[in-house]
Amino acid sequence: MNNRIDMKGIGKSFFATRALDNVDFSSVAGEVHALVGLNGAGKSTLMKVLGGVIQRDQGVIELNGQPIEIAAPVDATKHGVAMIHQEYSLINELTVADNIFLGRELFIGGTPFLNKREMARRVRAQLDRFGLDLDPASPVRDLNSGEKQIVEIIRALMSDSWLIVMDEPTSALSEEDKERLFGFIRRMKAEGVAIIYISHHMPEIFGIAEQVTVMRDGKIVLSERTSNTTEAAVIKTMTGTELDDFVKPVKTISDDVLLDVRGLTHAHAYQDVSFDLRRGEILVLTGLRGCGAPELAKAIFGLTSGYEGTISYRGTTLRPGRGPAAAVRDGMGMVTENRDKNGIMAALSVRDNIALPFLEKATRGGLINAAKVEAVVAKAIRETSTKTSSPDQEIRFLSGGNKQKICFSRWLDEDLELLILLEPTRGIDVHAKADIYRIIEELATRGVGVLILSYEIDEVIMLADRVITLYQGRSVASYSHPDFDKDKMLADMAGANLPAAAHA
Amino acid sequence: MTSTVTVNPTAAKAAISGLTLRYLVLAGLIVLASVGFSLANENFYSLVNIGILLRSIAVLFLVSMGMTFVMLTGGIDLSVGSNVAFAGGVGVITLTTTGSAPLGFLTAILAGMAIGTINGIFIGRLKLSAFMVTLATFALARGLALVIYDATSINVSDPTFLWLGGTSWGNIPVVIPFVFCVFVALSVLLYRTPFGRNVYAAGANFNTAFVLGRRPERSVVWIYALSGALAGLSAIVTVGRVSSGQPWSGLYLEFDAITAVILGGTSLFGGRGRLLGTILGVLLYGIIINGLVLTGTNPYLQSLIKGMILLGVVLLDSWTQRGKAA
Repeated sequence: MNNRIDMKGIGKSFFATRALDNVDFSSVAGEVHALVGLNGAGKSTLMKVLGGVIQRDQGVIELNGQPIEIAAPVDATKHGVAMIHQEYSLINELTVADNIFLGRELFIGGTPFLNKREMARRVRAQLDRFGLDLDPASPVRDLNSGEKQIVEIIRALMSDSWLIVMDEPTSALSEEDKERLFGFIRRMKAEGVAIIYISHHMPEIFGIAEQVTVMRDGKIVLSERTSNTTEAAVIKTMTGTELDDFVKPVKTISDDVLLDVRGLTHAHAYQDVSFDLRRGEILVLTGLRGCGAPELAKAIFGLTSGYEGTISYRGTTLRPGRGPAAAVRDGMGMVTENRDKNGIMAALSVRDNIALPFLEKATRGGLINAAKVEAVVAKAIRETSTKTSSPDQEIRFLSGGNKQKICFSRWLDEDLELLILLEPTRGIDVHAKADIYRIIEELATRGVGVLILSYEIDEVIMLADRVITLYQGRSVASYSHPDFDKDKMLADMAGANLPAAAHA
Repeated sequence: MTSTVTVNPTAAKAAISGLTLRYLVLAGLIVLASVGFSLANENFYSLVNIGILLRSIAVLFLVSMGMTFVMLTGGIDLSVGSNVAFAGGVGVITLTTTGSAPLGFLTAILAGMAIGTINGIFIGRLKLSAFMVTLATFALARGLALVIYDATSINVSDPTFLWLGGTSWGNIPVVIPFVFCVFVALSVLLYRTPFGRNVYAAGANFNTAFVLGRRPERSVVWIYALSGALAGLSAIVTVGRVSSGQPWSGLYLEFDAITAVILGGTSLFGGRGRLLGTILGVLLYGIIINGLVLTGTNPYLQSLIKGMILLGVVLLDSWTQRGKAA
């Protein structure tokens, strides 16, 4: 069976905004169709129409040439269309097999007892079919993000879905999990599954997709076989402008050591890590997920205690677990890896979100000087080119990239000396990324020491003055700009270049 | 129809006008309820009755303002009603043993603050559920009040102690301008000081507030202490109003305060709300309850109506907040 879905002349308006304008989009069994565009281009709206979450105003959807009606998500499921969301819809307390059979369990012939063995057998058969190494009996709680995503896809496939829509599937995955996902996608193609793949990552798209479609302002601006186009052409149509190749200039950095970490050890997280960071330097820690870098960064910010070794900052040794309030007072700032969990305050205005760390400095006689706060906030918004209608706007209405810029803009005060960034560009579009890279460079030029954790190797190479690779909590090697060897770094991260001491 | 209608109001404007709209609706309902009850009972609109009404809800104003701070952090304080009885007991006993009214005021406020601080430490520092902790102190403070009073009321005749709750200037009870002063002071605290911003931060996202070095765990302790101190202040007003200290005073006060605060637009989920809304919420709620009394509604039905009002406003809050989450 060679299924295909064709969406023809799809139109959708929200009040005065034309979200989709006469869009044609097809997906064919056995192919990956990449859908790209900046935030707000209409990708999500188009997929919501396909998934029955919202209703189109114009156009038809055809399954193998026959018009079909998709009025609700249940209709999409009936026709074999499955959406894999970024937020996992799995139940942590249940096993892989239980989750996959949730709602349509198998019973032991006519009794009300579950046939666990048969369910596990069928799940295993599917996993084997796609060459995946997962235990159907392990609780979902123990799986990492990549494995959870695989379980979601397997569940969809076992409910007779033939079209899988994946929205930014690699945004939370390590390099290792990405490779496994791509392998899985290739196997699915061979098995006749159709995939719609929403992503910003050009190498991924050109690695696995047959067809690429670019949307801009609710319209299709390019739809080509990947073999007939190039990464540069796709980026150009996506933004309407060509991005310059950014080459980091070589600069001299002071000898003024801001942060000195010696022999830092914390059971199960990191072992015997030493490095220093000078004023104006951008130091990037990189590795695979689980390399221990986020835990290290949190220890420096005073969030954890119970480590051995010393952290010296501005020449004095820090007390373990002294708390973020002391860190902020001493001129440290941190942008956390999870914006929504501990980065923003969704219910509050942009102004409150930016101004919080500054409040004491804008206070006279116990009262906040509103004019001063306003000036700081206006400057922060301008310097980060954050797009917001006004400082009164609640932050939750902003796009991911703009939220992330707000998380940066709070720290742009002249008292900042050390900025710690955990995955600074996770899940944001290419323009917001460019702004964030610019801000980081400007801060370093001003003399701020910047400590970054990043899992994206291209970002690491583009930003860093110095790179330290980590593997399972141990530092493997150190590289200085411009002597970066990407292949060797990747090998370090994968554990291929362990220092002799680690084997002992 | 002019052609200058602006379409696509930005989300920020929508949020502000949403709040303003809510206050306008509340003000409209206050007018409507007043007119309705004055038609049903000509006494409702008399200056005397307005004085009585305002005096009867003075305590609710004070407690609800404290409750607003608490609910802005996403918490709840069930102990305020019992705390009014306990703090009143401490104040009255101090007054009768020392004969000093200022000392009585001070100990009443400190006693209320003590219960609040206990709440705050368990909730803010030890991260226990606000509902469970204040449910415990709700019983605890009432028990202490019964012990202090030995379960009977104590008459108070000291004019200084009774002044705040009992005196009127013409038809205006002294306590009304006092409540207004407290409102102004708390507004300055909430909108113009770093502490006030920390209240919103702790409620909107405790984890973020922590990482930003705002010490939300410390803010929470002070917020519950503030709620307790206002309960202590309310105790002084309560004693003044009835010229005696009673172990069962403040009964169901937490219920009325929570209803009024939610009615005034403060979100149950924290981070959203203003003191002005609480003032309007208390006024509307007070007018409805007072009106029910004046129109001679069966007291059993009054409780039923209160319950229905709370269910209604909670439902409304959940609807409006769900809309915002999208």
